[in-house]
Amino acid sequence: MPTLTIDDQQVTVDQGTTILDAAKKLGISIPHFCYHPRLTKVDACRMCLVEVKDAPKLVTSCSNAVRDNMVVFTGTPKVEEARKSILEFILINHPLDCPICDKAGECKLQDYYFRHSRQPSRFKDYKVKKHKVVDLGATMVLDSERCVVCSRCVRFCKEVAGEENLGIFNRGDHSEIGTYPGKKIEHNYQGNLADICPVGALTAKDFRFKCRSWLLCKVDTICPGCSNGCNAVVHFTLRSFDGIKGQRVFRLTPRENNDVNKIWLCDVGRWGYSFIDSIDRLTTPALKKGEDFVKSDWDTVLRETASGLKTVVERYGPSAIGVIPSPHLTNEDLYALKCLFSCVLKVTNIDFKLPGLDKGEGDKLLLKADRHPNTRGAELLGLSGTGLSAEAMMEKVKTGEIKALYLVGSDPVKYIGEKAEEALSRAELLIFQGTNFNASCKLAHVILPGATFVEKEGTFTNYQGRLQRINKALEPLGEAQADWEIFTRLGKRLGSYPSYKYAEEVFKDMAREVAPFTGLSYQKIGPQGIKLTLPEGKS
Amino acid sequence: MCLDVIITLLKIAIVFGFVLNVAAILSWAERKQSAVMQDRIGANRADVLGFRIFGLFHPIADTIKMLTKEDWVPPAGDAFIHTLAPFLALFTALVVFAVIPFGDTLHIAGRDIPLQIADLNVGILFIVAFGGLGFYSVVLAGWSSENKYSLLGSIRAAAQLISYELALGLSIVGVVMAYGSIELDDIVRGQGQYVLGVIPYWGIVAQPLGFILFFTAAMAETKRVPFDLPESESEIIGYFTEYSGMKFGAFWMGEFIEVISVAGVVTALYFGGWQIPFLSNQGIFIPGLFTIPLPHLLVVLLQVSAFGLKVLFFCWFMLLVRWTLPRFRYDQLMAFGWKFMVPLALVNIVVTGLIKYVF
Amino acid sequence: MKIVGHNLTTKESFYFFEIAKGLWITSRHFIYNMYFHIAHLLGKYPEVPAAVTVQYPEEKVPLSRRWRGRHRINARPDGSPRCVACMLCETVCPVQCIHIVAGEHPDPAIEKYPVSFEIDVTRCCWCGMCEEACPVDALYMDTGKSPEPGFSREDLLYRKEQLVKEMPLPGCQRSLNAPGQGPMEANPLGL
Ligand code: SF4
Ligand code: SF4
Ligand code: SF4
Ligand code: SF4
Ligand code: FES
Repeated sequence: MPTLTIDDQQVTVDQGTTILDAAKKLGISIPHFCYHPRLTKVDACRMCLVEVKDAPKLVTSCSNAVRDNMVVFTGTPKVEEARKSILEFILINHPLDCPICDKAGECKLQDYYFRHSRQPSRFKDYKVKKHKVVDLGATMVLDSERCVVCSRCVRFCKEVAGEENLGIFNRGDHSEIGTYPGKKIEHNYQGNLADICPVGALTAKDFRFKCRSWLLCKVDTICPGCSNGCNAVVHFTLRSFDGIKGQRVFRLTPRENNDVNKIWLCDVGRWGYSFIDSIDRLTTPALKKGEDFVKSDWDTVLRETASGLKTVVERYGPSAIGVIPSPHLTNEDLYALKCLFSCVLKVTNIDFKLPGLDKGEGDKLLLKADRHPNTRGAELLGLSGTGLSAEAMMEKVKTGEIKALYLVGSDPVKYIGEKAEEALSRAELLIFQGTNFNASCKLAHVILPGATFVEKEGTFTNYQGRLQRINKALEPLGEAQADWEIFTRLGKRLGSYPSYKYAEEVFKDMAREVAPFTGLSYQKIGPQGIKLTLPEGKS
Repeated sequence: MCLDVIITLLKIAIVFGFVLNVAAILSWAERKQSAVMQDRIGANRADVLGFRIFGLFHPIADTIKMLTKEDWVPPAGDAFIHTLAPFLALFTALVVFAVIPFGDTLHIAGRDIPLQIADLNVGILFIVAFGGLGFYSVVLAGWSSENKYSLLGSIRAAAQLISYELALGLSIVGVVMAYGSIELDDIVRGQGQYVLGVIPYWGIVAQPLGFILFFTAAMAETKRVPFDLPESESEIIGYFTEYSGMKFGAFWMGEFIEVISVAGVVTALYFGGWQIPFLSNQGIFIPGLFTIPLPHLLVVLLQVSAFGLKVLFFCWFMLLVRWTLPRFRYDQLMAFGWKFMVPLALVNIVVTGLIKYVF
Repeated sequence: MKIVGHNLTTKESFYFFEIAKGLWITSRHFIYNMYFHIAHLLGKYPEVPAAVTVQYPEEKVPLSRRWRGRHRINARPDGSPRCVACMLCETVCPVQCIHIVAGEHPDPAIEKYPVSFEIDVTRCCWCGMCEEACPVDALYMDTGKSPEPGFSREDLLYRKEQLVKEMPLPGCQRSLNAPGQGPMEANPLGL
């Protein structure tokens, strides 16, 4: 293990570590464009030059491995001069229109210019004009003029996404990125190109021109797109009016987690946030009057729901109630649901496993076939197999043995089809609690609006049994409330129920009651999540 | 008997007509006077058929505005008391005029008509008592608004009013001692005497310090700059924050009426009331030299106008003060009231007593 | 910070003389001005002013070159706004009264343009920061106009279609590329 000195600080690192990585370990950041921790090293930009004692010239820190007793300087005048020159060189043909560029504010070139260069252009000739607004595929747009030809995108497609379709064409200052003739980028990881492109050359159509990066607030979350549980950051705005009217969440970007998603995010999850602010969000509690839904208030609908459930239990017993939750809910929501239905109302017919729930299309890298973030959590909480299955419930609803059906974010019509539709329309009491309008919601008698994953605290358990936290970024839209909160309010009306005020309280109770969560707390889960010790035969 | 009632009603109509009109005009005068003092022009935009007559339509426009504005009562407050408070403010300010004599006794058609609505033998006590009642309008307004800031404002106002009431009462004692009566008519008549035969024996002559103390305390009672802490429209929240429309207007009017009342009382106590120097019942008279007889009616008319002019002068003077001085800080206000005014008023009483004893 | 105290002299601490002094100053102004007001009514001394007031809107004072009036947006030769929807003005605006929705311009050289551009002048505090922030010579506050009153909030929401038609007031003009100024000069971004 070589020990070296970087800027008068000693550090011991593994054999073969690059100078840049070693410096990172010390908290010294060396400017770079082409280096990416998860891609091969290519030495393309020369931004990362540092001075090594006794070396004849400056060396690229991204590709040179450390040696024992090496002495490195990252901030000498010589290094600064080199950075300044490299930047000037890159900026010769750069359009310098940061105000229009979508990357401004999070652009490496912009940052480095302000940190290391800050000189007016000395270039008097005409700039090389290249292609602008080049369509690279369904989701990405390229601006060749802004490209610094770091080749990160080329390497990403080849090495990570496994799809060789990008290349560098022409030479010298005419070099341009492009797709091979007749090809487009098609893989499921295109969004990452916008993240790894150090400048504003590659932008995602979804985000392009919608909002400026500096107007966005960021909160750590977990992508709800599939059961992989990729770590993500949600970018949202609190300003009343930004870009498109009413849009609050603008994008999801990946967060590094070596055990889950490395540093990537797939497109399905990345662009799956639109339901949060979509027009079909349920924002007020509603009751069905005749054919239409009538807006109502929480007190009324909770009263209706509670009295409806109570009547059914009193008249027909708890077996006349069926509950179908969705694995989109957090562990806290599901635990609160379980408390309410199995402990207070003694309902056994609880099943989240609608047929075909896990029949999406997965891939080798991140995306899983099961497109629900918390299937594992629902399983661990025992929300399936205690009573009738969801399908059997449908039959019983049809025959009239089950009178009341409580759907929490689930959509039986989508998964079971016409049979479910017929059944649901025959239910005596159909309660739908969820975030968005759907085919099953259409048949409901009572609608309780729930909060989306960016509007509540909670935890998801991914397919590996890894417990990870989501955080509240925004207030729920309209009058919506977190599902555990709704269950708490409902529980109060139906019997003795703990008065939870925070999701963390629900979690504490859950950690006490449910085996795999024993001894855990939000602090222990931390930002990167924690692997649960699973009972035998379940891992 | 019937005639007496009619005469009294007539007097009430004349006095209150004068006071209310002057109050309305004061709201105009305040704008215009401050403007002239500050090299501006002042409100002049309200126009009726192209006539602007120096902005005289502004008080009318104000009234129309106030009357047509929403009358809002805080839902959590006490609606009855909330409505009562502004009228109390108006009433207590107005009723003081009942005991202020505005002219000599009028002999007409064999009747003696005293030009004073009510010749109370405790006139001064009446003034002080009703001045004190004004305090209730402030407290009730703040309390019934169900707004903690209004309540704090009214407490602030109450503290100020009580503090200065003391100095006010004590400074009047000097006048009472000087003229030996608490009946206002007697005091005004007493001011018709002459010191050394030439100097009219007005309150200002008898009680120069008393005048300054009284005037200062009275200004504090009107809650106007430099003593406008209860309201402080530019920064702190005052007791009538929750008022709108004409109820707010009533407070506003009340303030102007208080100004006129103070001017009236100051005139009566310290500036000879309706007395004009060297004009007596018989006519113009220079002691020891000559007398020019004048008809009785003319003399009374001159005296009544003299009273009116004096009142107007003091109104003007109070506006002048209001637009000249900056506001006190609250601790200064309290310190000034208790540590300066009250002791000085006591000294004034002692000195007056000594002088009375010696002469 | 240095706090400069002032201890009252004995005479000052009496208040009375200071108050009298103040009253003298204000009443002097009152009497002087009143004299000339009356004189003016009688047609005398019209040359001596009794007040410094300017009777806006009948009379106007010449505007300073730096006076910030209503906004306008410079136009390209084809009449479309020069604004590139960079949202810098929206960002810098302390009261957040500028709302821009950006879109993809058909001309890739222009790239970005405002699909909608609204300034809510009911909120605007006329600080002029937007004018300074604009990197492309588009937004100016040199029309020399004050905002007109409106009957609805809608009336006071100035949109790009209206802003782009406004002209600078010659004396106030601050942009190089205003209409009527000869050939357009290149703007800093070469757009
Ligand atoms: S890529 Fe970076 S430096 Fe280039 S225009 Fe965009 S923000 Fe500016
Ligand atoms: S498009 Fe971006 S990532 Fe690709 S080479 Fe250019 S700068 Fe690098
Ligand atoms: S002048 Fe100031 S407040 Fe008005 S739009 Fe511009 S930045 Fe905003
Ligand atoms: S700063 Fe200028 S270019 Fe940018 S959005 Fe505002 S007006 Fe348009
Ligand atoms: S980062 Fe080292 S050469 Fe590009």
